[in-house]
Amino acid sequence: MSMKFLFILLVLFFSYDAPAQELFAYTEPASNMAAKSIGIRINNSFMRETSLSRYRYHLNPEIMWGVSGKLMLHANAFFSNQSGSFSGEGGSVYVKYRFYSQDEVHNHFRMAAFGRLAMNNSHLHQPAIDLNRFNSGYEAGLVATKLIQKVAISAGAGLLHAMDNGKYKFSSNPKERNALEYNLSVGKLFLPKEYTSYNQLNVNGMVEFLGQSNFSLGNSYVDMATVLQFIILSKMRVDLGYRFPLLNNLKRSANDGFLVRLEYNIFNAYK
Amino acid sequence: MKKLIFMMVCFAVMQVQAQVTRATLVASGLTCSMCSNSINKSLKTVEYIEKVTANISKSSFDIVFKTGAAVNFDELKKKVEDAGFFVARLSVTLSFDHQPVQNDQHVRVTGILFHFVNVKPQELNGEKEVQILDKGFVPARQFKKNQAYSSLECFKTGITASCCQKAGEPAGKRIYHITI
Repeated sequence: MSMKFLFILLVLFFSYDAPAQELFAYTEPASNMAAKSIGIRINNSFMRETSLSRYRYHLNPEIMWGVSGKLMLHANAFFSNQSGSFSGEGGSVYVKYRFYSQDEVHNHFRMAAFGRLAMNNSHLHQPAIDLNRFNSGYEAGLVATKLIQKVAISAGAGLLHAMDNGKYKFSSNPKERNALEYNLSVGKLFLPKEYTSYNQLNVNGMVEFLGQSNFSLGNSYVDMATVLQFIILSKMRVDLGYRFPLLNNLKRSANDGFLVRLEYNIFNAYK
Repeated sequence: MKKLIFMMVCFAVMQVQAQVTRATLVASGLTCSMCSNSINKSLKTVEYIEKVTANISKSSFDIVFKTGAAVNFDELKKKVEDAGFFVARLSVTLSFDHQPVQNDQHVRVTGILFHFVNVKPQELNGEKEVQILDKGFVPARQFKKNQAYSSLECFKTGITASCCQKAGEPAGKRIYHITI
């Protein structure tokens, strides 16, 4: 992927005069879902295994709960065919608390703190830490999101710590268990041109940069992800994403692949 | 007994004279239709709301209240905040019957205590739209600016204080500050 393509994509994003979107596919913004709402996600990821030249399938069903306007929880289960047969491998919980909001009509700046705890019993085969697919471990971080009329931009960073996956040891060097994860995401609404009803199909585009650095190894990766998102009846979401590395010297078993996510939101799910 | 009947008549007259009929709420911090829908759905759970009509591009919601219902503006604010957003403006339509108003005038409408600020002395008759200026009903920056309208304690807190006792209102009650 050339830098020219990247540049064109960014220019496209910043030049359209339309409201922005921050419902990112690969990362979470600082904003939360509504209190007393429940969201269900089916995350399907198809990652191309470099050594085996096949696509590995990961299925992560996810349930999301808006505990209050400021606090939300996700619970996630991991399934994949990486061991040869399709099987369950673990799960994770994710919590996010929005602690700062400066809102005005059609714009806001928000900050949130998040934490994730993942348990996974799959084989370990890479030094890069992935709490959504491969590793047991935990993460704590901060995310800041700025929404203005034309652009939603979100930046986040978190400290990752990998644990052993049961009998599979992560690394003999304890320092290699720690890494820094960071992201920069930009989102844009392309359709409709003018909002008239909740039944309109919304089409959003996003570009996300997803990085990880393992300082004791001295290695990093930075991926770029492009996302096409459809919002149906203002409560269902379909995300189609593709990620690929821009910089890649932190070894992974799969570098590029697709994300297909289906999401359904139930507002006022309980009294 | 006579006194009781007289009081009941007075109360009944007040109910007829003053009504909270409609409101327009502008929410801040959102542009997307799913965000707007979360506010829309949240407002629709309020029992004294008859109807909500959303304008997604303006982030505004036209609300019609059930006739004679006891409206709670703080609850409307909470519903928006529960959805993850804030109230940028709440304009309420009140119907008056030859009500004289001036700065610091207290008016009770269907049990809700209002305090006029930044108004010229005038008589209100028929339906009038007023804007609530209390904390959380305008953007934080605007709330700070609006403090120039009145130095009274109750304007800062939205709770009746010693300053309200002149008007015969006991301290410690909810009071909404409004302007035209």
